Amino acid sequence: MGEVIVVTSGKGGVGKTTTTANIGTGLALLGHKVVLVDTDIGLRNLDIVMGLENRIVYDIVDATSGSCRLKQALIKDKRFEDLYLLPAAQTKDKTAVSPQQMVDLCQQLKADFDYVIIDCPAGIEQGFKNAIAGAEKAIVVTTPEVAAVRDADRVIGLLEAAELRDPKLIINRIRLSMVKKGDMMDIDDMIDILAIGLLGVVPEDEHIVISTNRGEPAVLDKASRAGEAYRNISRRITGEDVPLMNLETGEGLMGRLRRIIGLAR
Amino acid sequence: MISPQQNGQPSWQVGLPEKFSPSFHLSGTQPDPLRPERTGRERKEQGPNGVAMDYRTVLIQRTVRSGQSIRYPGNVVVMGDVNPGAEIIAAGNIIVMGNLRGMAHAGAAGNQNAVVVAFRLKPTQLRIAEHITRAPDGETVKPNQPEIARIQDGFVVIERYQPNSLRFPAF
Repeated sequence: MGEVIVVTSGKGGVGKTTTTANIGTGLALLGHKVVLVDTDIGLRNLDIVMGLENRIVYDIVDATSGSCRLKQALIKDKRFEDLYLLPAAQTKDKTAVSPQQMVDLCQQLKADFDYVIIDCPAGIEQGFKNAIAGAEKAIVVTTPEVAAVRDADRVIGLLEAAELRDPKLIINRIRLSMVKKGDMMDIDDMIDILAIGLLGVVPEDEHIVISTNRGEPAVLDKASRAGEAYRNISRRITGEDVPLMNLETGEGLMGRLRRIIGLAR
Repeated sequence: MISPQQNGQPSWQVGLPEKFSPSFHLSGTQPDPLRPERTGRERKEQGPNGVAMDYRTVLIQRTVRSGQSIRYPGNVVVMGDVNPGAEIIAAGNIIVMGNLRGMAHAGAAGNQNAVVVAFRLKPTQLRIAEHITRAPDGETVKPNQPEIARIQDGFVVIERYQPNSLRFPAF
């Protein structure tokens, strides 16, 4: 029997879909059987980030309403044998699925997979309620911004009220240089307010933009620092104790000179 | 925020305190959810320290998160933080044994003697009875001691919290 984990945030655009794709792929890299579920009905993105948009025939609304069997809706990843995607519907909206249907769906998926990772939509309305209905554990993603932390706090309150105890935090898109200057929130300040366990910290990385556009999750890219952070997070999810990676960019004198002259990006 | 004075001088005035009519009305036939229950004997509104008294008290032993609202017709004690976006609305006093970063409204049924006490008082907005106040623009609040907010001479005043200070001298 597997674990059902929901990736949520409250605020939009902080990196829930990117996180879902990357930790799902990261767990598949470690040899586990993983299914990713996109519950952002009407605004589906997980299929694009995974590079599987051309392979969608059936979606989550078909599967929960019984128009197709669940196995027919699951799309196998193009790189991994044991990684599957259950896409959202693009032509419906979030009222097309009910929380009870999500509970039943997660029960079915739990039986066949080690990890069921649910990509939650932004907001706290029906889409959010659907996504958390079948979940056992929660990951809250936030960026080091006051607005994002405020929304994350709201969501943590709602998760606790829904009996999803002990959510874990991922801080995304952090820029250590800005934190040092005091322009960006410190990790400790964020944990002070949110008061939940830290699962990982992902640095800002241009590779993410490239990877999401191409449909190749950054965990597969050895040069990507965000990818490395996500690989570490995947290992922590399996229970391994991995120290937080060093976020220093390690520029050095030549790098700084090049930046001043304007040769490097 | 202007640093709190030791001698009780008004120190947290932000222009003129805004007066607002409470959204819940005391008069009329509707029961006021925040009105403290009346006992048969005469109630004292003010104790020896000038603080509102004779209320029930509720103890909340967790952090109050953004979007949560605690409303009580008496005193509220929070053993935890009150995060920004959360609100505590009490007919009596509010005591936060942690960081008060949200909104607190003490004396919400009109009691001017209500106070707000916190280990670290850095609210988005503070209200006592019908007075509303906030930190001055542009200043980040970094208190390093427990503080108490009360009404004095018609203004909201914030000072260091001293447990045994008597507001009125013995004569």
